[in-house]
Amino acid sequence: MKQPAIKSFGEKAVLIEWEPSINDNMLTMVLQVKQLVLKTFAREVIETVPTYSSLAIFIKKGVKQDDFIKQLTQKLKNIPKTKPAILRVLHIPVCYDPKFALDIEEVAQTNNITVPKVIELHTTPQYKVYFLGFLPGFPYLGGLDKRLQTPRKKTPREKIEAGSVAIGGSQTGVYTTSSPGGWNIIGKSPLNFFSIEKKPPALLKAGDFIKFIPISKDEYRKIEVEVIVDIYKFGEEAANG
Amino acid sequence: MVEVIKPGLFTTIQDKGRTGYRRVGVPVSGAMDAISAAMANKLLDNSTQAAIMEFTMMGPRLLFKKPTVIAISGAGFHAKINNVPIELDKATEVSENDILKIDHPDFGNYGYLAVLGGFDTQEVLESRSYYNNITEKQQLVKGQVLNFSNVSSEVFKRNASFSIDSTHFSDDTIEVFPGPEFNLLPKKNQQKIVASTLKVRTQSNRMAYVMEGMEAFSAKEIITAPVQPGTVQLTPSGKCVVLMRDAQTTGGYARILQLTEQAICKLAQKRAGDTVQIRLKSYNDN
Repeated sequence: MKQPAIKSFGEKAVLIEWEPSINDNMLTMVLQVKQLVLKTFAREVIETVPTYSSLAIFIKKGVKQDDFIKQLTQKLKNIPKTKPAILRVLHIPVCYDPKFALDIEEVAQTNNITVPKVIELHTTPQYKVYFLGFLPGFPYLGGLDKRLQTPRKKTPREKIEAGSVAIGGSQTGVYTTSSPGGWNIIGKSPLNFFSIEKKPPALLKAGDFIKFIPISKDEYRKIEVEVIVDIYKFGEEAANG
Repeated sequence: MVEVIKPGLFTTIQDKGRTGYRRVGVPVSGAMDAISAAMANKLLDNSTQAAIMEFTMMGPRLLFKKPTVIAISGAGFHAKINNVPIELDKATEVSENDILKIDHPDFGNYGYLAVLGGFDTQEVLESRSYYNNITEKQQLVKGQVLNFSNVSSEVFKRNASFSIDSTHFSDDTIEVFPGPEFNLLPKKNQQKIVASTLKVRTQSNRMAYVMEGMEAFSAKEIITAPVQPGTVQLTPSGKCVVLMRDAQTTGGYARILQLTEQAICKLAQKRAGDTVQIRLKSYNDN
C-alpha cells in the first residue's frame, strides 16, 4: 500500500488520505492508523473520524498544525503491524414482513427476483461496518449482493422510522434514528442502534461485522420489549475466512 | 427560571458544541456565530462553556421567573424589557416577572442571549447544544420552562459594555483554505472559483448554507469522506453548499474549500440574498 498523503483540513483538522478505494485491507489500515494516532497523540488530538480510505484528525486548541503534521509524518513512516482481533459477527434481527417492508416488492421487481429471494440474498452475507456517519450511529456497510442493488427513490420520504433496513444503490444500511431518506425500505429491526444513555451511544463501530437474521412479526414484538427492558441477548457467530 | 411565551422563528440552546462523538456520526453543533455567542458570555463573565440561547430573524418572548443578569449579542436585534428598549452588548439586570421581547434584527442573522451562569438545560453527550434525536427538543417551544444557574445577581457588579468589530457584520469577505479536492479541479476553474462571488439562498439553515454562483463549475463525487463545519462542497451539477454547525460528519461531494473559523461566524450572519466574496488563504500564511 502506498504511503498516505497528510494534509491540513482547515485550521484545526488534519486529513490522512490513502488512494480512494473501498476494501477490507484499506479499512484495516485506516483503523490501525486511527489507533496509532489516538495512542501516540492523546495530548494533541480531540477525536478522529475514519471513513473508507481517509482519516480526519481534529486537533486541540494551541497545538501547532505544522508541528503536528511533522510528527505525524514521522510516526507514519513505520506503522507497526497489530495482531488481528478475534472477529465476531453480530446478529441483527430484521422483520421483512410487508407491514415494515414498504419497498421490498419494488426491490424484487427491479432485480427480477421474488420477495423470498430478496430476503434470502439480504440475510446471507456477513456485512462489514466500514464506518459510522450520515446519522448518529448509521453504519456504512460493505457486502450487498449485486442482485439486490436498487436505485434510490425519486422522491425521498419525509420520515423513515428508526430501525428501518434499506437499500440505496449499491449500499444497504439501517436508519439508526428517524430521518428523511430516499433508500428503499425492505424491513425493520427492533434493536436500538443509537441511545444517548448507552456508552458508547452507538451499537456498532467501524470494523464490526453484522448479519441480518429474518424474524417474524411476533418475534419482532418480543424483541422490541426485551430491548426496552434491556434484557435482549445478542446472537453472534464467528467470521468466515 | 424563564418561561417561553413565544419561541420565535427558530430558537435553540447552544454551547461550544458536542465534540468527541463525531466518529459515531453525531454532529458538533454549537453556536452558528461562535464569536458573538462568546461575546454574550464574556459580558457576564460566564464560563466559555456556558450555554446560551440562539435565535434567528425573529427572536423569542420570555418571562423571567427569577431575577438575573442578561446580555444580548450578535445580529442587531431590537430587544425590550417590559416594552422598554434595552441596549445590546451590555449586561442588563432583569427582575422577577420581567418580560423580554426580542424582535427582528436591523442587520445580521443570528442573535445570542446569555444569562448569568448560563442556561442549565439537559446535557446530552457532554453538551447542551440542541440537535434532533440527540436532545429531547430540536427548538424551543411555547410554554417551555428553562432553568438557569443559580448565581445570585448581587455578585455581578461589573458594568461592562463592549461589542464585536462592526466589520464582522458589514464586511463580505470570506476567507477560505483550499479543500481536500481543490487540486483535482481544472487549473483555470481553480482561479475562477477563488475569485467568485456567492449569494446565500433561502434554503440555508444550521446544517448548511446553499450558495448561488458556482453553476458554471462542477466536480466529481468522491467516495464518502470526513467533512466538518465550513467545508464547501461542489456537486456534479454545480450546486454549492457550505456546511454549517449541524453538518453531518461525512459526505460524498467534492470538498473544494474550507472556511476559516472566523469565516464560518461571518457567513452565519449573512441572510438569504446577501453576497460574499471568497478570498483564498494558503496554509503557509498561518
